[in-house]
Parts: sequence; C-alpha cells; structure tokens
Amino acid sequence: MISNIIKTEWLKLKHYKAFWVLLSVTAISYPGINGIAYYAFMDSIDAKSQSGQLVKMLLGNPFAFPQSFHTTAYLSSFFTFIPAIVVIMLITNEYMFKTHRQNIIDGWKKNNFIWGKFISVLLVTLIVTLFYLAVAGIIGTLATKEMAGINIFEKANYIGLFSLQVFCQLSIAFLLGLLIRKAFIAYGIFIFYSFILENILSGIFKLKSRKWGIDYGHYLPFEISDRLIPLPPFIGKFNEADNKLAIAAIGDHIVYTLVLTAFVWLLSFYIFKKRDL
Amino acid sequence: MPVLEISSVSKSYGKIRALDNVSFNIPKGSVFGLLGPNGSGKTTLLSIVLDILQANAGSYKWFGESPTYLHRKKIGSLLETPNLYHYLTAVQNLRITQSISGRGNEADIHAVLEKVNLHERKNSRFSTYSLGMKQRLAIAAALLGNPAVLVLDEPTNGLDPVGIAEIRNLIKGLSDHGHTVIMASHLLDEVEKVCDHVAILKRGKLIASGAVESVLSAEDCLLLSADDQLLLNEKMRGYPGLLRMNETAEGLECYFAKGASAAEKVNRYCFEQGLVLSQIWAKKKRLEEKFFELTSE
Repeated sequence: MISNIIKTEWLKLKHYKAFWVLLSVTAISYPGINGIAYYAFMDSIDAKSQSGQLVKMLLGNPFAFPQSFHTTAYLSSFFTFIPAIVVIMLITNEYMFKTHRQNIIDGWKKNNFIWGKFISVLLVTLIVTLFYLAVAGIIGTLATKEMAGINIFEKANYIGLFSLQVFCQLSIAFLLGLLIRKAFIAYGIFIFYSFILENILSGIFKLKSRKWGIDYGHYLPFEISDRLIPLPPFIGKFNEADNKLAIAAIGDHIVYTLVLTAFVWLLSFYIFKKRDL
Repeated sequence: MPVLEISSVSKSYGKIRALDNVSFNIPKGSVFGLLGPNGSGKTTLLSIVLDILQANAGSYKWFGESPTYLHRKKIGSLLETPNLYHYLTAVQNLRITQSISGRGNEADIHAVLEKVNLHERKNSRFSTYSLGMKQRLAIAAALLGNPAVLVLDEPTNGLDPVGIAEIRNLIKGLSDHGHTVIMASHLLDEVEKVCDHVAILKRGKLIASGAVESVLSAEDCLLLSADDQLLLNEKMRGYPGLLRMNETAEGLECYFAKGASAAEKVNRYCFEQGLVLSQIWAKKKRLEEKFFELTSE
C-alpha cells in the first residue's frame, strides 16, 4: 500500500511546475544567505585593520570544516518559510481542486491521503536537506585552507538536527494548511506567527522567566525546534553562558521536537478522519 | 442482492436536516435515477455512500457488505463537479485515478478518452478545458477500467445537446452490458429516457422509490372527451371507484386506483348514461408531471 501512496503522490508532484519553481527558489536562497554571510566574513578578516585581525583571532573561521555544518544550518534555517509555502500549497490545492474528496471516492482510505502528504513533506525535507548539505560542503571546502588533521564530519550531527527542524516546522505548516484550507490565509498566518507573533511571545516569556524561574518561550511551537540549532560559536561567544545552556538543551529539544511532530501528524490524521470532506 | 442498500440514513448540518431517515435499495443492473429539487439531499446522500460525509444515523451496504475502501475502488464516481488536478493533463489525471483505484491500465486510459471524445486534447492541461470538456474527463475517470457500478451526480452538467445525447447512449450501453448506474439529476427528461428505477427526494425525505413504471403509475388515468363535456363531467362524478377528476384542454382526466380503470367499463357506463365518447385514452403519466405532483407544496 505504501508504494502505491508514494507512486500516486509522485504522479501529483512530478508535473507540478509551481512545486519545482518554489523548491528552486529554496535552492537559490540557501547558497544566497550563506554566500553573503561567508563573503562578508571573509572581507572582514581579510582587512588589514586591527579589528579584522581581532575578529579572525577571536572567531576563527565559522565557515570552515567542521564548523561549516553548524553555521550553514543556522543561516539556512531562516529560509524554512519557503518550503513551508510549498507544503501549505500541497494541501490547500487539494482542497481548492476538491481532489482530496476524489482521492477518497476513488478508493483511498482517509489515512492513505494523510500518509501521502506525510511522504510529500518528508520528500520536501529531504530535498531541502540536500540543498543545505551541498551549501555546507561547498562553503566548507572554499573556507578550509588546510584539510589535513581536520575531522570534516565532527559537526555532521547538524545534518540530522537541521532535517529534524525542517520536518517539524513543515509539519506545522501542513497542519495549518489542513485546518485553514485556504492557501493565502494559511500563508499569512504562518508568516505572521513564525516571524512576528512567536518572537513577541518569546520576548514576553523571557522577561517573565526572571519571575517564574522558567522560560516557557522555549516551548513555543517553532522555538522548540529552533533550539535544535543554537547560535554558532562565532555569534554565541558574545553570550557564552546562554549558549552553553542552549547547547546542553539540544538533547531535550530533540525529544520535544519529536513529540511535537508526532502530535502534529496524529492530529492531522484525526482531523481528516473525523471531518466531512 | 441489491448493489446498494440504504437504511434509515439521516444527516444534519446544524439545524438543517439534509436527509431524514432515508431508506431504499438499488437493484443490480439497474439504471437508478435519484431525483429531487435543488437542496433535496441528492448529493448529500451520494457523498455519504461514497464516504465523503458521515451520516448522523443509519447505515448502508455495498454489494451486501459493510462499506470499505475496497468497495469504492470498484465504483466509478463523479460527484457534484469534476474534481481533478488543474495543472495536469487528461492522461496525467487519469493515471492518478488508475493508481488510486487500481482500475484499468495505460491502454484503458486512452480508450476512455476516445470514448468521451477527448483523445485529441489528451495532453492539454485540465485548466485549459471548457466546462463540458472537464465534465467529459470526469466521466472518463469514472468509466476507467469498466467498473461494475457507476455513481454519476448530474453527469450532463455543462454538456451541449450532442454531449447529453452521447452520455445518454453511453449509460444505455452500460446498462445493456449489465452495469449498475446510479444517477442523480434534475433533468427529468433525461432520467425518464435512461432510468428504469427512481427515488425522489424532497427536503431530505424520500417521497417515492421503485421501478419507474410503478412510481409513475400509482394511479391509472383515462382521458375522456364527449360532445357534451359538461354532461360527461357530471356523469363521471358518479362513477364507482373514481378517485378524482381534472379538466384539461385535451379532455377530462379521470383518476382511478391502480388496476381499477377498465376503459371498456367506463365506455359502457357512459353509453348507459346516454353519452357517446369521442375519445377514451389511457394516459401514461410523464415523470416530469409526477415529479412536480410529488414535490409541490
């Protein structure tokens, strides 16, 4: 059955131009943001000034191997909203064309439909992770002057953390599309919440944490997985104590992210099963 | 064994009762017309038996069994509007139907496109089709793999007169080959031409169902004319077994209980009353007439 679902979802995606165009935009955005940051950094350390030399001495090169995996994961994660738009489009289109009904009428169980979307979100995550890996590899190669003695894959755990973060956030985007059903409203809410509202809430919880002794902002839907990739050391050095705590909490956030992602998908299965189509 | 048994199905949308305790059976091999004015519950009922909507009460069985997704795979369905991927071509859309339902193969895809006269535009995107072409493609999807049962909700929507006649012939052909066709429509003329069984819904309630002949002929009707129409009117009032009369431009319509109108007896009665009939005709009621009679306030 699962092979039939994969085949059918592929038939839906294979000739869908908007899907491939948006993924191409993602493919451009990742080298874009990382390239800009890389060349800006190289410019600053190449400067003959004392400050340039100081930056080089203090920060090392965050784009060189093995740090490249962490730095590019952190920078690339700012652009997860583009594949999120792809995912919202995939589910809201089904509602717009009423093909979600036709898929059931033609003989799928309701669970099959959501499994199909789960596989699509996995596929988008895989493609996005490959883009990130390519960027991390290319920038790492460019930035590493001497490969000898370096364990390139020392920070390769960020590949898994990045893909888990992307999958979790795309899953939330999917749930939003499933609930809202209208593409532009879902995009609007996703962008507004992830870029504005959650940051405001995060700030409020941070202030309140002094009184409450705990920062509930760490458990907001996007923050849970955002904290899988803490600030890279060259930025984290400016607040070393907080960064050490963030790094120590990665293990916990892997669990929280897995739980949240599982919850999102279980809720999606439940909603689709119970709702009239 | 009926293809579909519907037992006491009810469905509400908030305070609106879309279906109220509806029960009927659809015999195997029949062309079954589901009739009713807009909002009578036809599409709601078909959506329930195709598992798109959940009934609040009641049950249904496909092929004598509790419904599962496996039954839906065997049924070719067009529900309400053509629900296909706008960015895909006819062939690409039918490949998805084939993949989900398991009905047909690549050759069958091309065969059904020929059947609905879309083969020349098989590689055009669905979004570029006219309304009639979209409807044809949805019918092609329902026909794919030659399913034993077809559920067609307003299949002639958007079609031109030639297209309507083609679909009519197609349905007749399917019926001749033993397929069961369940068809919801408000085009009574079409239904009368192709259906052998009907169910009529009004505001979610089933008001008649069965073979077309039995639904149409719950009463016998004789159309009578005489030179003295007033005297005919007066004398027929006293005829034993007469249910009601209706004066029309064609003559006097006299209604009797089913099987109680022997034209010969009526003729003799009139003659004995001193009336010579100039016309006596057993009138067959048309579906449209019956429909309005049943669904009017």
